[in-house]
Amino acid sequence: MELWRSRFGIPSEAFEGYAFHLRGNNVWISGSAELPDLRYETIGVRFMSTKGRVWKPTTSALQLFGGRATKNAIDLDPDQARVFLAGESQNLDADLENGYVVVSYRGMVLGCGLYSRGELVSQLPKERRIMSDKIENESFKGDR
Amino acid sequence: MVHLERYRDIVPDFESFVESIHRPLPATVRINTLKTDRDDLLRRLSEEGAKYRFVCWNPLCLRIDLEKPGNLIECLMGYLHVQEEISMVSAVVLDPRPGESVLDLCAAPGSKTTQISQMMENRGSVVANEPAVNRIPSLRSNCERLGAMNVAVTRYDGRLFPRHRFDRVLVDTPCTGQGMARKDHSVLSRWSLKRSLGIQRLQQSLLRRGVELTRPGGTIVYSTCTFAPEENEAVVSTVLDRVWVETVSVPGLKNMPGLTRWDSDYGDELEGCARYYPHQNDTGGFFVAKLIKK
Repeated sequence: MELWRSRFGIPSEAFEGYAFHLRGNNVWISGSAELPDLRYETIGVRFMSTKGRVWKPTTSALQLFGGRATKNAIDLDPDQARVFLAGESQNLDADLENGYVVVSYRGMVLGCGLYSRGELVSQLPKERRIMSDKIENESFKGDR
Repeated sequence: MVHLERYRDIVPDFESFVESIHRPLPATVRINTLKTDRDDLLRRLSEEGAKYRFVCWNPLCLRIDLEKPGNLIECLMGYLHVQEEISMVSAVVLDPRPGESVLDLCAAPGSKTTQISQMMENRGSVVANEPAVNRIPSLRSNCERLGAMNVAVTRYDGRLFPRHRFDRVLVDTPCTGQGMARKDHSVLSRWSLKRSLGIQRLQQSLLRRGVELTRPGGTIVYSTCTFAPEENEAVVSTVLDRVWVETVSVPGLKNMPGLTRWDSDYGDELEGCARYYPHQNDTGGFFVAKLIKK
């Protein structure tokens, strides 16, 4: 939680009423209600990956809580969003610290980016990447 | 249409019913209130110039004028979920409340699971059970995309689901799917009485277990997307000693009462079930029973 507060300015109150557990290389977030004693495949939603040296927020978690970020968050224009959604990197001059950032488009959190020396690297997992020619929205169609 | 002929005497305005089966289904989406709210979402769609219409029975369902609404950025980001309009009725009838303990016995791909989760505002718990290992990924990815944090996934044979007492249980069973004919016409030619009777045994076992897993006074919803009484009223009639049938009536949605007899007597209580026909609401076909555990 400390990481979400220090990195994104998201207060720990945002996570009140939820429970966390570690499983495999992930921290999971779930409801805090007691569950029946069963054999579970999964409980809740993946929250952070603990694989790397720095724990990485998942796309799912950022989409749920990243909207409350007060720093290290960036709202892209349609062209930039297209590049990000395709899973590609782009040069971007922005007021961001190096490291993981919350990436949005029109106020809608798209997912996690890695910002480093003026470059924004999309961290969208392969299965959640989207090519712009697939997107139905008029604003994305542009002149491509 | 030979397989629909058997419903001539129970479906009102049978010719329109048959005709409606040949029309494609309107594309519909559900607004996911776990990630957005209705006003914000409608504003987004309007800014995008997307054309949509409301349905009168469910403020969170939109008929959207797009061939592939699943490719809207709002769908990809989990603000919207593509779901057939009439299939939204199961969770509405189940009426889960925040904080309750709910079981979805046949959960994949999770459209109804996530609808239940959003009705519970991510509070309480939804156990989403799916026996087929190859259907777990679709269930999981829908829960992740839609932000259904109060869902826990299990993989039991639903007929042998371990003992527990839930507040509410949804038994949305596999079926012959005649009600999906507007989406996939081949379901009609594949139907046979033998197939209905074959699947009936599974449906009965699943419903029986669903009833056992509900606390006294708790709610069980049994639903299918088929017209065959063998898979609907005949199945519900086997648990009448353990449940009361509550009349299903969703304001704004036309339905016909359940059948009290077909090839045998099912019991007058079955009238409280709801049959949804495609031509009455311009949807797919569906069957819903709401049962209260004695």
